[in-house]
Amino acid sequence: MPITKEDVLTTGKLADMAVSEKEAAIYEQQLEALFKWVTELSSVNTDHVKLDAPGLAAHLRSDQPKPDETLAKALRDNFAATENDCVKVKKVL
Amino acid sequence: MMNVFEIVEAVTSGKKTAEAVVRESLEVIAQKNPSINAFVEVFTQDALSQAKAIDEKRARGEKLGPLAGVPVGIKDNLLFKGHKATCCSKMLANYTAAYNSTVVERLLAADAVIVGRTNMDEFAMGSTNETSVYGPVRNPVDLTRVPGGSSGGSAAAVAAGMVPVALGTDTGGSVRQPAGFCGVVGIKPGYGRISRYGVIAFASSADQVGVLAANVRDAADVLEVISGKDVKDATSLEAPVPAYHTLFTQDLKGVKVGLPKGFLEGLDSKIKERMELAAQALKERGAQLVEVELPYAKYSAPCYYIITSAEASSNLGRYDGIRYGYRDTQAQGLKEYYEKSRAPFGLEVKKRIIIGTYALRSDNYEACFLKAMKVRELIREDFKKVFEKVDVLLTPTSPTTAFELGHHDANPIAIYLADLYTCQGNIGGLAGISVPFGQDDKGLPVGVQFYGPILQEEKILNVAHHLEQSI
Repeated sequence: MPITKEDVLTTGKLADMAVSEKEAAIYEQQLEALFKWVTELSSVNTDHVKLDAPGLAAHLRSDQPKPDETLAKALRDNFAATENDCVKVKKVL
Repeated sequence: MMNVFEIVEAVTSGKKTAEAVVRESLEVIAQKNPSINAFVEVFTQDALSQAKAIDEKRARGEKLGPLAGVPVGIKDNLLFKGHKATCCSKMLANYTAAYNSTVVERLLAADAVIVGRTNMDEFAMGSTNETSVYGPVRNPVDLTRVPGGSSGGSAAAVAAGMVPVALGTDTGGSVRQPAGFCGVVGIKPGYGRISRYGVIAFASSADQVGVLAANVRDAADVLEVISGKDVKDATSLEAPVPAYHTLFTQDLKGVKVGLPKGFLEGLDSKIKERMELAAQALKERGAQLVEVELPYAKYSAPCYYIITSAEASSNLGRYDGIRYGYRDTQAQGLKEYYEKSRAPFGLEVKKRIIIGTYALRSDNYEACFLKAMKVRELIREDFKKVFEKVDVLLTPTSPTTAFELGHHDANPIAIYLADLYTCQGNIGGLAGISVPFGQDDKGLPVGVQFYGPILQEEKILNVAHHLEQSI
Protein backbone atom coordinates (compact mmCIF):
# COMPACT_ATOMS: atom_id res chain seq x y z
CA MET A 1 0.00 0.00 0.00
CA PRO A 2 2.26 2.86 -1.19
CA ILE A 3 1.57 6.20 0.47
CA THR A 4 2.71 9.51 -0.96
CA LYS A 5 3.23 12.97 0.48
CA GLU A 6 0.14 14.01 -1.47
CA ASP A 7 -1.86 11.28 0.30
CA VAL A 8 -0.73 12.63 3.65
CA LEU A 9 -1.69 16.21 2.75
CA THR A 10 -5.10 15.14 1.38
CA THR A 11 -5.81 12.95 4.42
CA GLY A 12 -4.86 15.85 6.69
CA LYS A 13 -7.46 18.01 4.90
CA LEU A 14 -10.08 15.26 5.34
CA ALA A 15 -9.35 15.36 9.08
CA ASP A 16 -9.58 19.19 9.13
CA MET A 17 -5.92 19.42 10.14
CA ALA A 18 -3.28 21.60 8.60
CA VAL A 19 -0.23 19.47 7.86
CA SER A 20 2.92 21.38 6.93
CA GLU A 21 5.23 20.25 4.12
CA LYS A 22 7.84 19.38 6.73
CA GLU A 23 5.37 17.28 8.75
CA ALA A 24 4.10 15.61 5.57
CA ALA A 25 7.64 14.53 4.68
CA ILE A 26 8.11 12.94 8.12
CA TYR A 27 4.70 11.26 8.07
CA GLU A 28 5.13 9.97 4.51
CA GLN A 29 8.20 7.98 5.53
CA GLN A 30 6.69 6.68 8.77
CA LEU A 31 3.29 5.84 7.29
CA GLU A 32 4.92 4.04 4.36
CA ALA A 33 6.64 1.73 6.87
CA LEU A 34 3.49 1.35 8.95
CA PHE A 35 1.18 0.46 6.08
CA LYS A 36 3.78 -1.94 4.68
CA TRP A 37 3.61 -3.67 8.06
CA VAL A 38 -0.20 -3.61 7.97
CA THR A 39 -0.24 -5.44 4.62
CA GLU A 40 0.68 -8.57 6.65
CA LEU A 41 -3.04 -8.71 7.40
CA SER A 42 -3.88 -9.29 3.75
CA SER A 43 -2.37 -12.79 3.98
CA VAL A 44 -5.01 -13.81 6.56
CA ASN A 45 -8.06 -15.56 5.16
CA THR A 46 -11.08 -13.77 6.61
CA ASP A 47 -13.68 -14.87 4.04
CA HIS A 48 -15.67 -16.73 6.69
CA VAL A 49 -15.57 -13.95 9.31
CA LYS A 50 -18.80 -12.08 9.94
CA LEU A 51 -18.89 -8.87 11.90
CA ASP A 52 -22.03 -8.47 13.95
CA ALA A 53 -21.32 -5.05 15.32
CA PRO A 54 -18.24 -3.36 13.90
CA GLY A 55 -16.40 -1.46 16.57
CA LEU A 56 -17.85 -3.31 19.53
CA ALA A 57 -18.37 -7.04 19.86
CA ALA A 58 -22.06 -7.79 20.28
CA HIS A 59 -21.50 -10.16 23.20
CA LEU A 60 -20.01 -7.37 25.25
CA ARG A 61 -22.97 -5.06 24.93
CA SER A 62 -26.23 -5.03 26.75
CA ASP A 63 -28.70 -3.20 24.56
CA GLN A 64 -31.60 -3.46 26.99
CA PRO A 65 -31.21 -0.43 29.20
CA LYS A 66 -32.80 -0.55 32.60
CA PRO A 67 -34.58 2.68 33.54
CA ASP A 68 -32.55 4.69 36.02
CA GLU A 69 -35.16 5.65 38.62
CA THR A 70 -32.85 8.06 40.41
CA LEU A 71 -32.26 10.00 37.22
CA ALA A 72 -35.95 9.93 36.29
CA LYS A 73 -36.89 11.23 39.73
CA ALA A 74 -34.25 13.98 39.56
CA LEU A 75 -35.65 15.06 36.18
CA ARG A 76 -39.24 15.08 37.45
CA ASP A 77 -38.22 17.00 40.58
CA ASN A 78 -36.75 19.74 38.44
CA PHE A 79 -40.02 20.48 36.70
CA ALA A 80 -42.61 22.75 38.26
CA ALA A 81 -45.51 20.47 37.37
CA THR A 82 -45.92 16.75 36.70
CA GLU A 83 -48.88 14.56 35.94
CA ASN A 84 -49.10 10.75 35.71
CA ASP A 85 -45.30 10.41 35.83
CA CYS A 86 -44.95 12.89 32.94
CA VAL A 87 -43.63 16.42 33.09
CA LYS A 88 -45.93 19.27 32.10
CA VAL A 89 -44.57 21.86 29.68
CA LYS A 90 -46.11 24.91 28.04
CA LYS A 91 -48.40 24.28 25.12
CA VAL A 92 -46.63 25.13 21.86
CA LEU A 93 -49.41 24.54 19.34
CA MET B 1 4.88 4.60 51.94
CA MET B 2 2.62 2.06 53.63
CA ASN B 3 0.57 -0.42 51.59
CA VAL B 4 -3.08 0.32 50.85
CA PHE B 5 -4.43 -2.17 53.37
CA GLU B 6 -2.01 -0.93 56.05
CA ILE B 7 -3.16 2.66 55.51
CA VAL B 8 -6.83 1.67 55.65
CA GLU B 9 -6.24 -0.31 58.84
CA ALA B 10 -4.27 2.56 60.45
CA VAL B 11 -6.79 5.27 59.53
CA THR B 12 -9.85 3.20 60.40
CA SER B 13 -8.46 2.16 63.78
CA GLY B 14 -7.26 5.67 64.57
CA LYS B 15 -3.56 4.71 64.78
CA LYS B 16 -2.86 7.36 62.18
CA THR B 17 -4.91 10.21 60.74
CA ALA B 18 -5.73 10.47 57.06
CA GLU B 19 -4.19 13.94 57.18
CA ALA B 20 -0.86 12.51 58.37
CA VAL B 21 -0.89 9.89 55.60
CA VAL B 22 -1.64 12.50 52.94
CA ARG B 23 0.99 14.91 54.28
CA GLU B 24 3.60 12.13 54.00
CA SER B 25 2.57 11.52 50.41
CA LEU B 26 2.73 15.25 49.58
CA GLU B 27 6.19 15.48 51.15
CA VAL B 28 7.55 12.64 49.01
CA ILE B 29 6.00 14.25 45.91
CA ALA B 30 7.60 17.61 46.76
CA GLN B 31 10.95 15.93 47.25
CA LYS B 32 11.00 13.59 44.23
CA ASN B 33 8.71 15.05 41.58
CA PRO B 34 11.14 17.74 40.32
CA SER B 35 13.50 15.02 39.03
CA ILE B 36 10.84 12.49 37.91
CA ASN B 37 7.97 14.69 36.61
CA ALA B 38 5.33 12.09 37.46
CA PHE B 39 2.72 14.61 38.63
CA VAL B 40 1.70 17.52 36.42
CA GLU B 41 -0.44 19.05 39.17
CA VAL B 42 -0.68 18.36 42.89
CA PHE B 43 -4.00 19.20 44.58
CA THR B 44 -2.33 20.06 47.91
CA GLN B 45 -5.09 22.05 49.62
CA ASP B 46 -7.88 19.96 48.15
CA ALA B 47 -6.19 16.70 49.23
CA LEU B 48 -5.63 17.98 52.77
CA SER B 49 -9.29 19.08 52.97
CA GLN B 50 -10.41 15.64 51.78
CA ALA B 51 -8.16 13.99 54.40
CA LYS B 52 -9.46 16.24 57.21
CA ALA B 53 -13.05 15.44 56.19
CA ILE B 54 -12.25 11.71 56.54
CA ASP B 55 -10.73 12.25 59.98
CA GLU B 56 -13.83 14.24 61.02
CA LYS B 57 -16.05 11.47 59.73
CA ARG B 58 -14.20 9.00 61.93
CA ALA B 59 -14.39 11.37 64.90
CA ARG B 60 -18.18 11.46 64.47
CA GLY B 61 -18.20 7.66 64.72
CA GLU B 62 -19.22 7.14 61.09
CA LYS B 63 -18.05 4.08 59.19
CA LEU B 64 -15.15 4.80 56.83
CA GLY B 65 -14.91 3.56 53.26
CA PRO B 66 -12.71 0.67 52.06
CA LEU B 67 -9.93 3.04 50.90
CA ALA B 68 -10.02 5.37 53.90
CA GLY B 69 -7.16 7.87 53.72
CA VAL B 70 -5.37 6.23 50.77
CA PRO B 71 -3.58 8.84 48.60
CA VAL B 72 -4.23 8.19 44.91
CA GLY B 73 -2.83 9.77 41.76
CA ILE B 74 -5.08 9.91 38.70
CA LYS B 75 -3.98 10.02 35.09
CA ASP B 76 -4.59 13.35 33.39
CA ASN B 77 -7.37 11.91 31.18
CA LEU B 78 -9.76 11.08 34.05
CA LEU B 79 -12.31 13.74 34.93
CA PHE B 80 -12.33 15.10 38.50
CA LYS B 81 -14.91 17.85 38.85
CA GLY B 82 -13.45 21.34 39.21
CA HIS B 83 -9.93 20.19 38.33
CA LYS B 84 -8.03 20.44 35.09
CA ALA B 85 -7.94 17.39 32.80
CA THR B 86 -5.66 18.12 29.88
CA CYS B 87 -4.59 14.74 28.48
CA CYS B 88 -1.15 16.38 28.67
CA SER B 89 -2.00 18.23 25.47
CA LYS B 90 -1.89 21.90 24.50
CA MET B 91 -5.31 21.24 22.98
CA LEU B 92 -6.93 20.92 26.42
CA ALA B 93 -4.58 23.25 28.30
CA ASN B 94 -7.47 25.17 29.87
CA TYR B 95 -10.07 22.42 30.19
CA THR B 96 -11.62 21.99 33.63
CA ALA B 97 -13.78 18.93 34.29
CA ALA B 98 -17.46 19.74 34.71
CA TYR B 99 -18.29 16.41 36.33
CA ASN B 100 -16.65 13.39 37.95
CA SER B 101 -15.73 10.26 36.04
CA THR B 102 -17.30 7.16 37.58
CA VAL B 103 -13.91 5.88 38.75
CA VAL B 104 -13.25 9.15 40.58
CA GLU B 105 -16.76 9.07 42.04
CA ARG B 106 -16.13 5.55 43.36
CA LEU B 107 -12.71 6.43 44.79
CA LEU B 108 -14.18 9.41 46.65
CA ALA B 109 -17.11 7.34 47.91
CA ALA B 110 -14.56 4.84 49.28
CA ASP B 111 -12.82 7.70 51.17
CA ALA B 112 -9.66 7.65 49.04
CA VAL B 113 -7.84 10.99 48.70
CA ILE B 114 -6.97 12.18 45.20
CA VAL B 115 -3.66 14.02 45.51
CA GLY B 116 -3.03 15.06 41.93
CA ARG B 117 -3.06 14.32 38.23
CA THR B 118 -0.26 12.32 36.69
CA ASN B 119 1.74 12.82 33.52
CA MET B 120 0.99 10.80 30.38
CA ASP B 121 1.68 10.62 26.68
CA GLU B 122 -0.46 13.18 24.84
CA PHE B 123 -4.00 11.76 24.52
CA ALA B 124 -2.59 8.41 25.76
CA MET B 125 -0.80 7.87 22.45
CA GLY B 126 2.67 6.57 23.14
CA SER B 127 4.74 3.98 24.95
CA THR B 128 7.42 6.19 26.46
CA ASN B 129 5.70 9.21 28.06
CA GLU B 130 7.81 11.45 25.85
CA THR B 131 4.91 13.05 23.95
CA SER B 132 3.50 14.94 26.96
CA VAL B 133 3.25 18.72 26.66
CA TYR B 134 4.58 18.84 30.24
CA GLY B 135 7.81 17.09 29.23
CA PRO B 136 8.87 13.47 29.69
CA VAL B 137 8.57 11.43 32.86
CA ARG B 138 11.79 9.82 34.05
CA ASN B 139 11.95 6.27 35.32
CA PRO B 140 12.60 6.32 39.10
CA VAL B 141 14.80 3.21 38.76
CA ASP B 142 17.13 5.00 36.31
CA LEU B 143 16.46 8.67 35.52
CA THR B 144 18.06 8.41 32.06
CA ARG B 145 15.36 5.97 30.98
CA VAL B 146 11.70 6.17 30.06
CA PRO B 147 9.03 4.94 32.47
CA GLY B 148 6.97 3.45 29.62
CA GLY B 149 3.64 4.83 28.58
CA SER B 150 1.15 6.12 28.25
CA SER B 151 0.43 5.96 32.01
CA GLY B 152 4.12 6.63 32.73
CA GLY B 153 3.39 9.27 35.37
CA SER B 154 1.13 6.93 37.35
CA ALA B 155 3.68 4.09 37.22
CA ALA B 156 6.59 6.37 38.19
CA ALA B 157 4.59 7.94 41.05
CA VAL B 158 3.97 4.50 42.57
CA ALA B 159 7.52 3.28 41.92
CA ALA B 160 8.97 6.39 43.60
CA GLY B 161 6.75 5.90 46.67
CA MET B 162 4.86 9.18 46.09
CA VAL B 163 1.51 7.36 46.32
CA PRO B 164 0.73 3.72 47.07
CA VAL B 165 -1.61 3.50 44.13
CA ALA B 166 -2.54 5.39 40.96
CA LEU B 167 -5.06 5.02 38.18
CA GLY B 168 -4.09 4.81 34.54
CA THR B 169 -5.82 3.87 31.32
CA ASP B 170 -4.83 1.05 29.01
CA THR B 171 -5.68 1.02 25.30
CA GLY B 172 -2.75 -1.08 24.07
CA GLY B 173 -0.75 -1.75 27.21
CA SER B 174 -0.58 1.72 28.76
CA VAL B 175 -0.96 0.43 32.32
CA ARG B 176 0.92 -2.87 32.07
CA GLN B 177 3.94 -1.75 30.00
CA PRO B 178 4.89 1.18 32.31
CA ALA B 179 4.24 -1.07 35.31
CA GLY B 180 6.77 -3.53 33.84
CA PHE B 181 9.32 -0.78 33.11
CA CYS B 182 9.06 0.78 36.59
CA GLY B 183 8.85 -2.43 38.62
CA VAL B 184 5.29 -2.09 39.94
CA VAL B 185 2.05 -4.03 39.48
CA GLY B 186 -0.35 -2.91 36.75
CA ILE B 187 -3.74 -4.45 36.04
CA LYS B 188 -6.11 -3.82 33.15
CA PRO B 189 -9.35 -5.71 33.72
CA GLY B 190 -11.36 -7.16 30.87
CA TYR B 191 -13.26 -4.74 28.64
CA GLY B 192 -16.46 -3.62 30.37
CA ARG B 193 -15.34 -4.35 33.95
CA ILE B 194 -14.80 -0.67 34.75
CA SER B 195 -16.96 2.21 33.54
CA ARG B 196 -15.41 4.52 30.95
CA TYR B 197 -17.78 7.35 31.87
CA GLY B 198 -15.68 10.50 32.28
CA VAL B 199 -12.57 8.98 30.72
CA ILE B 200 -11.36 11.13 27.82
CA ALA B 201 -11.74 8.79 24.85
CA PHE B 202 -8.88 7.57 22.67
CA ALA B 203 -10.20 4.33 21.13
CA SER B 204 -13.56 3.39 22.62
CA SER B 205 -13.47 -0.35 21.83
CA ALA B 206 -10.11 -0.80 23.57
CA ASP B 207 -9.88 1.89 26.30
CA GLN B 208 -10.04 0.59 29.84
CA VAL B 209 -9.13 2.07 33.22
CA GLY B 210 -6.47 0.17 35.16
CA VAL B 211 -4.69 0.25 38.51
CA LEU B 212 -0.98 0.69 39.25
CA ALA B 213 0.13 -0.37 42.72
CA ALA B 214 3.16 -1.45 44.69
CA ASN B 215 1.84 -4.98 45.14
CA VAL B 216 -0.89 -7.34 43.91
CA ARG B 217 -3.03 -7.11 47.06
CA ASP B 218 -3.21 -3.29 46.78
CA ALA B 219 -4.10 -3.50 43.08
CA ALA B 220 -6.85 -6.02 43.92
CA ASP B 221 -8.36 -3.85 46.66
CA VAL B 222 -8.54 -0.76 44.46
CA LEU B 223 -9.83 -2.73 41.47
CA GLU B 224 -12.65 -4.04 43.64
CA VAL B 225 -13.72 -0.48 44.53
CA ILE B 226 -13.77 0.95 41.00
CA SER B 227 -15.23 -2.07 39.13
CA GLY B 228 -18.84 -2.87 38.35
CA LYS B 229 -21.80 -1.93 36.21
CA ASP B 230 -22.49 1.76 35.61
CA VAL B 231 -25.70 2.91 33.94
CA LYS B 232 -23.74 5.80 32.42
CA ASP B 233 -21.61 3.42 30.31
CA ALA B 234 -23.56 0.96 28.16
CA THR B 235 -20.45 -1.14 27.62
CA SER B 236 -19.89 -1.73 31.34
CA LEU B 237 -20.86 -5.24 32.34
CA GLU B 238 -23.50 -6.37 34.80
CA ALA B 239 -21.66 -8.87 37.02
CA PRO B 240 -20.89 -9.10 40.72
CA VAL B 241 -17.46 -7.84 41.80
CA PRO B 242 -15.76 -10.25 44.21
CA ALA B 243 -13.54 -9.30 47.14
CA TYR B 244 -10.54 -10.30 45.05
CA HIS B 245 -7.93 -10.73 47.79
CA THR B 246 -10.14 -13.19 49.65
CA LEU B 247 -9.91 -15.47 46.61
CA PHE B 248 -6.12 -15.81 46.79
CA THR B 249 -5.44 -19.53 47.23
CA GLN B 250 -2.89 -21.38 49.38
CA ASP B 251 -1.16 -22.85 46.33
CA LEU B 252 -1.72 -23.22 42.60
CA LYS B 253 -2.79 -26.85 42.54
CA GLY B 254 -5.27 -27.42 39.73
CA VAL B 255 -4.42 -24.13 37.99
CA LYS B 256 -3.52 -24.52 34.32
CA VAL B 257 -1.07 -21.91 33.01
CA GLY B 258 -0.84 -21.63 29.23
CA LEU B 259 2.52 -20.91 27.61
CA PRO B 260 1.92 -19.61 24.07
CA LYS B 261 4.12 -21.43 21.57
CA GLY B 262 6.76 -19.23 19.96
CA PHE B 263 6.24 -16.27 22.33
CA LEU B 264 9.81 -16.43 23.62
CA GLU B 265 11.45 -16.56 20.19
CA GLY B 266 13.72 -13.61 19.46
CA LEU B 267 13.30 -12.27 22.97
CA ASP B 268 16.11 -10.57 24.89
CA SER B 269 17.99 -13.42 26.62
CA LYS B 270 17.61 -12.00 30.13
CA ILE B 271 13.84 -11.55 29.72
CA LYS B 272 13.60 -15.07 28.31
CA GLU B 273 15.50 -16.36 31.33
CA ARG B 274 13.13 -14.52 33.72
CA MET B 275 10.13 -15.94 31.87
CA GLU B 276 11.46 -19.47 32.23
CA LEU B 277 12.11 -18.89 35.94
CA ALA B 278 8.58 -17.50 36.35
CA ALA B 279 7.09 -20.62 34.75
CA GLN B 280 9.22 -22.78 37.03
CA ALA B 281 8.14 -20.83 40.13
CA LEU B 282 4.48 -21.34 39.22
CA LYS B 283 5.09 -25.04 38.68
CA GLU B 284 6.71 -25.33 42.11
CA ARG B 285 3.53 -23.86 43.60
CA GLY B 286 1.45 -26.58 41.99
CA ALA B 287 0.44 -25.06 38.63
CA GLN B 288 0.30 -27.22 35.55
CA LEU B 289 2.13 -25.71 32.55
CA VAL B 290 0.45 -26.29 29.19
CA GLU B 291 1.81 -25.23 25.80
CA VAL B 292 -0.89 -23.55 23.72
CA GLU B 293 -1.16 -22.14 20.21
CA LEU B 294 -2.43 -18.69 19.29
CA PRO B 295 -1.99 -18.65 15.51
CA TYR B 296 -3.51 -15.20 14.94
CA ALA B 297 -2.08 -13.35 17.97
CA LYS B 298 0.96 -12.25 15.91
CA TYR B 299 -1.35 -9.97 13.94
CA SER B 300 -2.50 -8.08 17.02
CA ALA B 301 -0.11 -5.13 16.68
CA PRO B 302 -1.01 -4.11 13.08
CA CYS B 303 -4.71 -4.69 13.89
CA TYR B 304 -4.35 -2.57 16.99
CA TYR B 305 -2.75 0.37 15.14
CA ILE B 306 -5.40 0.42 12.43
CA ILE B 307 -8.46 0.01 14.68
CA THR B 308 -7.40 2.34 17.48
CA SER B 309 -6.19 5.02 15.06
CA ALA B 310 -9.50 4.84 13.17
CA GLU B 311 -11.43 5.22 16.42
CA ALA B 312 -9.12 8.03 17.51
CA SER B 313 -9.66 9.93 14.26
CA SER B 314 -13.37 9.87 15.04
CA ASN B 315 -13.14 10.51 18.81
CA LEU B 316 -10.71 13.39 18.41
CA GLY B 317 -12.99 15.06 15.87
CA ARG B 318 -14.63 16.81 18.83
CA TYR B 319 -11.55 19.00 19.31
CA ASP B 320 -12.59 21.54 16.71
CA GLY B 321 -12.65 24.75 18.72
CA ILE B 322 -16.43 24.63 18.92
CA ARG B 323 -17.28 21.61 21.00
CA TYR B 324 -13.96 21.21 22.82
CA GLY B 325 -10.38 22.37 22.74
CA TYR B 326 -8.36 25.36 21.65
CA ARG B 327 -10.32 28.03 19.79
CA ASP B 328 -8.52 30.12 17.17
CA THR B 329 -9.60 33.75 16.92
CA GLN B 330 -7.73 34.88 13.80
CA ALA B 331 -9.02 32.47 11.13
CA GLN B 332 -10.81 33.71 8.02
CA GLY B 333 -13.55 31.27 7.09
CA LEU B 334 -14.79 27.97 8.52
CA LYS B 335 -12.19 25.62 6.97
CA GLU B 336 -9.31 27.75 8.18
CA TYR B 337 -11.00 28.03 11.58
CA TYR B 338 -11.08 24.25 11.99
CA GLU B 339 -7.52 23.80 10.77
CA LYS B 340 -6.10 26.49 13.03
CA SER B 341 -8.13 25.32 16.03
CA ARG B 342 -6.80 21.77 15.56
CA ALA B 343 -3.20 22.91 15.14
CA PRO B 344 -2.18 22.40 18.82
CA PHE B 345 -2.22 18.59 18.46
CA GLY B 346 1.29 17.17 18.82
CA LEU B 347 3.11 15.20 16.09
CA GLU B 348 2.16 11.72 17.37
CA VAL B 349 -1.53 12.59 17.81
CA LYS B 350 -1.69 14.12 14.34
CA LYS B 351 -0.02 11.04 12.94
CA ARG B 352 -2.56 8.69 14.55
CA ILE B 353 -5.45 10.84 13.26
CA ILE B 354 -3.94 10.68 9.76
CA ILE B 355 -3.45 6.89 10.00
CA GLY B 356 -7.05 6.48 11.14
CA THR B 357 -8.53 8.81 8.56
CA TYR B 358 -6.45 7.13 5.84
CA ALA B 359 -7.64 3.66 6.95
CA LEU B 360 -11.26 4.84 6.89
CA ARG B 361 -11.07 6.51 3.44
CA SER B 362 -13.50 4.84 1.04
CA ASP B 363 -10.61 3.59 -1.14
CA ASN B 364 -8.86 1.94 1.83
CA TYR B 365 -11.74 1.03 4.14
CA GLU B 366 -12.13 -2.58 3.05
CA ALA B 367 -8.44 -3.47 2.80
CA CYS B 368 -7.47 -1.67 5.99
CA PHE B 369 -10.17 -1.07 8.58
CA LEU B 370 -12.58 -3.86 7.71
CA LYS B 371 -9.73 -6.33 7.29
CA ALA B 372 -8.30 -5.41 10.69
CA MET B 373 -11.74 -5.79 12.29
CA LYS B 374 -12.13 -9.26 10.80
CA VAL B 375 -8.67 -10.36 11.90
CA ARG B 376 -9.55 -9.04 15.36
CA GLU B 377 -12.45 -11.50 15.47
CA LEU B 378 -10.04 -14.35 14.64
CA ILE B 379 -7.71 -13.22 17.43
CA ARG B 380 -10.63 -13.14 19.87
CA GLU B 381 -11.65 -16.61 18.76
CA ASP B 382 -8.05 -17.78 19.39
CA PHE B 383 -8.19 -16.60 22.99
CA LYS B 384 -11.70 -17.98 23.54
CA LYS B 385 -10.55 -21.45 22.48
CA VAL B 386 -7.39 -21.29 24.58
CA PHE B 387 -9.30 -20.33 27.73
CA GLU B 388 -11.36 -23.49 27.34
CA LYS B 389 -8.10 -25.38 28.00
CA VAL B 390 -6.21 -23.19 30.50
CA ASP B 391 -7.02 -20.74 33.30
CA VAL B 392 -4.45 -18.07 32.50
CA LEU B 393 -1.74 -17.34 29.95
CA LEU B 394 1.83 -16.38 30.81
CA THR B 395 3.68 -13.95 28.51
CA PRO B 396 6.36 -11.27 28.83
CA THR B 397 4.95 -7.78 29.45
CA SER B 398 7.37 -6.21 26.96
CA PRO B 399 10.08 -7.46 24.61
CA THR B 400 12.66 -5.24 26.38
CA THR B 401 13.26 -3.49 29.68
CA ALA B 402 13.09 0.33 29.92
CA PHE B 403 15.09 2.03 27.19
CA GLU B 404 16.88 5.38 27.22
CA LEU B 405 14.96 8.60 26.64
CA GLY B 406 14.89 9.42 22.91
CA HIS B 407 16.20 5.99 22.00
CA HIS B 408 13.51 5.13 19.44
CA ASP B 409 12.86 8.58 17.96
CA ALA B 410 13.87 7.59 14.43
CA ASN B 411 12.01 4.31 14.30
CA PRO B 412 8.30 4.48 15.13
CA ILE B 413 7.66 0.82 14.21
CA ALA B 414 10.17 -0.25 16.88
CA ILE B 415 8.18 1.78 19.41
CA TYR B 416 4.92 0.24 18.22
CA LEU B 417 6.41 -3.24 18.65
CA ALA B 418 7.00 -2.43 22.33
CA ASP B 419 3.23 -3.04 22.67
CA LEU B 420 3.45 -6.44 21.00
CA TYR B 421 2.51 -8.53 24.03
CA THR B 422 0.16 -6.04 25.66
CA CYS B 423 -2.05 -4.91 22.77
CA GLN B 424 -3.31 -8.49 22.38
CA GLY B 425 -5.22 -7.99 25.61
CA ASN B 426 -7.03 -4.92 24.27
CA ILE B 427 -7.72 -6.45 20.88
CA GLY B 428 -9.12 -9.53 22.66
CA GLY B 429 -10.86 -7.58 25.46
CA LEU B 430 -8.98 -9.73 28.00
CA ALA B 431 -7.97 -9.12 31.60
CA GLY B 432 -4.21 -8.63 31.92
CA ILE B 433 -1.76 -7.95 34.72
CA SER B 434 1.95 -7.16 34.79
CA VAL B 435 3.86 -8.15 37.89
CA PRO B 436 7.56 -7.39 38.50
CA PHE B 437 9.79 -10.46 38.51
CA GLY B 438 13.44 -9.59 39.02
CA GLN B 439 15.81 -7.44 36.99
CA ASP B 440 17.97 -7.61 33.88
CA ASP B 441 21.77 -7.23 33.87
CA LYS B 442 21.48 -3.44 34.20
CA GLY B 443 19.26 -3.72 37.27
CA LEU B 444 16.14 -2.71 35.33
CA PRO B 445 12.83 -4.32 36.30
CA VAL B 446 11.45 -7.18 34.21
CA GLY B 447 7.66 -7.49 34.01
CA VAL B 448 5.80 -10.76 33.60
CA GLN B 449 2.26 -10.69 32.26
CA PHE B 450 -0.76 -12.93 32.85
CA TYR B 451 -3.89 -12.92 30.73
CA GLY B 452 -7.25 -14.23 31.83
CA PRO B 453 -10.77 -14.33 30.44
CA ILE B 454 -13.15 -11.43 30.77
CA LEU B 455 -14.83 -11.11 34.21
CA GLN B 456 -12.31 -13.52 35.75
CA GLU B 457 -9.75 -11.04 37.04
CA GLU B 458 -9.43 -13.09 40.25
CA LYS B 459 -7.54 -15.77 38.28
CA ILE B 460 -4.78 -13.46 37.09
CA LEU B 461 -4.59 -11.68 40.45
CA ASN B 462 -4.13 -15.03 42.18
CA VAL B 463 -1.29 -16.29 39.97
CA ALA B 464 0.36 -12.85 40.06
CA HIS B 465 0.13 -12.89 43.86
CA HIS B 466 1.84 -16.30 43.93
CA LEU B 467 4.59 -15.17 41.58
CA GLU B 468 5.13 -12.07 43.73
CA GLN B 469 5.44 -14.27 46.83
CA SER B 470 7.96 -16.54 45.12
CA ILE B 471 10.64 -13.86 44.77
